[in-house]
Amino acid sequence: MIRIISEDVTLIAKRDLHNNYYSVALGPFSRAKDCRPGQFVHVQMPNGGVLFRRAFSVASVDPKRHAIEIIFRVFGRGTRALGKLKKGDSINILGPLGVPFAQPGKKEIAVMVAGGIGFPPLLFHAESLVKSGFNPKRIFFYYGGRGSADIIERPRIKKLGVTFVPATQDGSLGQKGLITKPLDSFLAANAGSALRIYGCGPEGMLKAVNELAQERRVAGQLSLEAPMPCGVGICLGCVVPLTNGGYARVCYDGPVFNIGEVAL
Amino acid sequence: MTVDLRVNIAGVEFANPIMTASGCCGYGDELATIFPLSKLGALVTKSITQNPRLGHKPPRVAEATMSMLNAIGLANVGIDAFVTDKIPFLNKQKTKIIVNVAGWSIEDYTSVCARLNDIPRVDMVELNFSCPNVESGLEFSSDATQMERAVRAVKNVFSRPIVAKLSPNVTNIVDIAKGAEQGGADAVSLINSLIGTAIDIETWRPRLTNNTGGLTGPAVKPIALAMVNKVHNQCRLPIIGIGGIRTADDVVEFLLCGATAVQVGTALFVEPSAPVTIAKGLADYLKRKKISSVSQLVGKVVRH
Repeated sequence: MIRIISEDVTLIAKRDLHNNYYSVALGPFSRAKDCRPGQFVHVQMPNGGVLFRRAFSVASVDPKRHAIEIIFRVFGRGTRALGKLKKGDSINILGPLGVPFAQPGKKEIAVMVAGGIGFPPLLFHAESLVKSGFNPKRIFFYYGGRGSADIIERPRIKKLGVTFVPATQDGSLGQKGLITKPLDSFLAANAGSALRIYGCGPEGMLKAVNELAQERRVAGQLSLEAPMPCGVGICLGCVVPLTNGGYARVCYDGPVFNIGEVAL
Repeated sequence: MTVDLRVNIAGVEFANPIMTASGCCGYGDELATIFPLSKLGALVTKSITQNPRLGHKPPRVAEATMSMLNAIGLANVGIDAFVTDKIPFLNKQKTKIIVNVAGWSIEDYTSVCARLNDIPRVDMVELNFSCPNVESGLEFSSDATQMERAVRAVKNVFSRPIVAKLSPNVTNIVDIAKGAEQGGADAVSLINSLIGTAIDIETWRPRLTNNTGGLTGPAVKPIALAMVNKVHNQCRLPIIGIGGIRTADDVVEFLLCGATAVQVGTALFVEPSAPVTIAKGLADYLKRKKISSVSQLVGKVVRH
């Protein structure tokens, strides 16, 4: 049994992705190579006045430097302090935690559906699939946001050779409107193909994708977010209701759930 | 110098005074992936009720200033599933097991505790009296007579030591502690969570679906310390101190105020391996102070 131990790691690289988005590389982290797409690390906020850790999906792994990347948007007290960290600063992380995404079948088409800051685990998932030999032509990357500044790391997505489909609510990039619109057209046009959806984003988007996928009878998984004190399944604070009754812990039973499993 | 971290409460010997607080580590299985449970003085389980409970609707937790509000709603598997599914795992753990029991009537407590009496692995029960008594309309935790009756009823069905967990939401916690003592409790643990709330100023709604919740975490420690000391001064029962403990220094404060052992709760959610660090820090403190046994600290606070 692998014991999960919190570790002090160093911020070894930081990139300002504009519009309050940041990418930071943290390492050396002994468990870096064990991180799977969909899993998260629980990060102690550098501001001493913030009690609980904050969960961040792993966005990529650098096996040579034993580092992981997380991408976040400065939003509240915790992330504001996190955004102020500089190269060389130390930070305590716990992980990797949670259930990762399942692999798509070799003959399937993987359809990533990202919304806003729900993007990082899907970037990691797409990158890992391509690295492991999955044909990038079989990966479609739908990515929605308010405006073009919310669609970050575009060159990285394009470099993978996947089909990239952005949509913005203000029309500044891609189709104007919600990402579910082009997604639905795609699902309708490919009704006969074996598709597998992977979604991560705001609650409204997840709910729409969950309904859309079930209407179109497409299987897949959604990665959920919830206020999460412990991250290791012991506080029962982050539960979501299941379709079959009862609750599941987002941190421990998820954050990745099958489409239709959670009553969104 | 070797130091002795063992403590004894009602004839039960604990390897060290660090326990988990109820509701903060489930039934131990998740925590065992973080550290060997043998590092604990005792594992205190989540509250067990007669029937399984799903708990309250989310959001169940909110963060407040250096504290946590929770309204989990006693989500638990119920006594039947606890005995069949959780006891086999606990049987293999090399630590003392204290099962926390909750209910709404005396019958709830006695029926669960009678079942636990047949399981020798259960070293103690801790009675969570934070729920209103549906029969009397009074809370066990805020009425000394109710407390006495409930503890006495459990005493009749459970042959090993009983810990009464005390609520801080009372006029005088000493009265309730004395009620527990009268009823035959072997120890008291305090404090349970304080009642609190937090409001979302955009929606004007409480941040917990249950509207209010239990406040725990570092912010409550001074309140807990004062109450532990008050009970220690006026009641003879051994005390298990609870409330905002994060570090070995915090534990020393509780022991000096009169606690024989302590429980770590909210800190587990920040650092799940906290009990291990705390136990080590406590040994280091004793070495530095040249004190051979942790029990020598109990109640030694020097009042002004």
